[in-house]
Amino acid sequence: MRLELGKIYIKDVQFASETRVENGTLFINREELLKEIGEDERLKHIDVEIAKPGEEVRIIPVKDVIEPRVKVEGNGGIFPGFISKVDTVGSGRTHVLKGTAVVTTGRIVGFQEGIIDMAGEGAKYTPFSKTNNIVIICEPVDDLPQHEHEEAVRIAGYKAAAYLGKAGKDISPDEVKVYETLPLLEQVKQYPELPRVIYVYMLQSQGLLHDTYVYGVDAKKIIPTFIYPTEVFDGAIVSGNCVSACDKNPTYVHMNNPIIEDLYERHGKDINFLGCVITNENVYLADKERSSNYTAKLVEFLGADAVIISEEGFGNPDADLVMNCNRIEEKGIKTVLLTDEYAGRDGASQSLADSTPRGDAVITAGNANQIVILPPMKKVIGHPNAADIIAGGFAGSLMADGSIEAEIQVITGATSEVGFGYLTTKTF
Amino acid sequence: MIEKIIIVTNNVLSDTSFRGNHRVDFIEGSLLDVLIKVRDYIHLGHRLMTHPLMGSIKPNQTPYKTVAITLKAYESVDLNSLILIENSIEITLKLLNNKPPRNWPEEVLEDYRAVDFELIKNALN
Repeated sequence: MRLELGKIYIKDVQFASETRVENGTLFINREELLKEIGEDERLKHIDVEIAKPGEEVRIIPVKDVIEPRVKVEGNGGIFPGFISKVDTVGSGRTHVLKGTAVVTTGRIVGFQEGIIDMAGEGAKYTPFSKTNNIVIICEPVDDLPQHEHEEAVRIAGYKAAAYLGKAGKDISPDEVKVYETLPLLEQVKQYPELPRVIYVYMLQSQGLLHDTYVYGVDAKKIIPTFIYPTEVFDGAIVSGNCVSACDKNPTYVHMNNPIIEDLYERHGKDINFLGCVITNENVYLADKERSSNYTAKLVEFLGADAVIISEEGFGNPDADLVMNCNRIEEKGIKTVLLTDEYAGRDGASQSLADSTPRGDAVITAGNANQIVILPPMKKVIGHPNAADIIAGGFAGSLMADGSIEAEIQVITGATSEVGFGYLTTKTF
Repeated sequence: MIEKIIIVTNNVLSDTSFRGNHRVDFIEGSLLDVLIKVRDYIHLGHRLMTHPLMGSIKPNQTPYKTVAITLKAYESVDLNSLILIENSIEITLKLLNNKPPRNWPEEVLEDYRAVDFELIKNALN
């Protein structure tokens, strides 16, 4: 499967009379965008605002972040199973409006998190302070159940990203990157001397506000399976995960998964990247047994010498991470694990809810209990009243001057467990 | 699911919803009290059926927890269940010590109850 990713670099976003891309600026017809996403009777009001890097703007509570993309050549369309039919994606050509992001906000539940600050201390912790954000603010009809509310907001985000992506369809990209993965037997033959690597891609799937979808299928219902990495770039995996802002994978992060990017970068040089095995993180312990056994069986069958495993979320998924590690290592296949930590304010406590001696190569994405003071912003987009009931904040965390004392777990993407963030580790 | 279960919970939504079909041990207490009660059951031979740290909402945020264990008490203590519950209690104590729970308004408590209940309902269906 071969995909050309045409990146159109967008430096500015403005409202205008016509939606188009011109000289690196994305112009948006606001009314047309609102009409495109406004057909859901579960949402009584939708608004859209723009937030740019460096502006003193806080977006809260963030539900999802999505990158505008459009299929230019090849099978299917973006977000198969939601916006497009379920044709297999990941081949041909896709254009990206690089430097832009659709951000959805909605007060789905009373406890809130998911902060993007476009300036100040908080901006250093979220990758989405560097994108020009088109923020979709959704108000539900009265008494809408949480799961309906979540779905309506989620789909409004996909619609907005697909609508905006179309503006890049006929634009000549600034850069084209080519990614290719061959069918397994051919891929193994292509670089027979290099170690064969599989990426085990764990998807949050515990239930309400904790879900991920693959081609429209709820990931908690899947048996672990193979997916070409390029399918992910076309939005085959999307997020309905609204909890634990720092270490969830928003849809944008799935579409730009840096583990996949990095494995492709080394593909044919020092590794042979065979592809991805997706698996889930369920609540029922028998599901964990089944999925970890199945994952190990599949990576063995695919002929992996080594596996990279990334986790999504806190607590319960630590058990899945450890079980995947144990089952795969038991087959003589080496593993590297990616996770984040809840190691207390000083970072000195036990980091995970589970551990294994076989997990001898682990990468941390940061300590979610780290404390940060977020200064007041001139403008708040979304639901400002959410600021005083932030789940990861302290009692009375909203100070009189409008600043917030909180743990970095409230910041969207602060400790991304696929490494889509700014935190790093230094040895002294 | 074939094995019969006991629901241990301090969430009134779980209590009322599962009481007809399962044995429910309703705990008038905190999330930590629920985990400690589950640990007692495990020492008596019952086994965990769902993860005690279900959900990404941290145990020092949500006051509610529902856990499913086997109705049957086996002859020996299941070490996997014991390790899981001990680790979960340790993490809970660490986070409570790091940052104590807040006094949430009733509407927020309602949402915490709803999420806890929805997750366990999903797991058991």
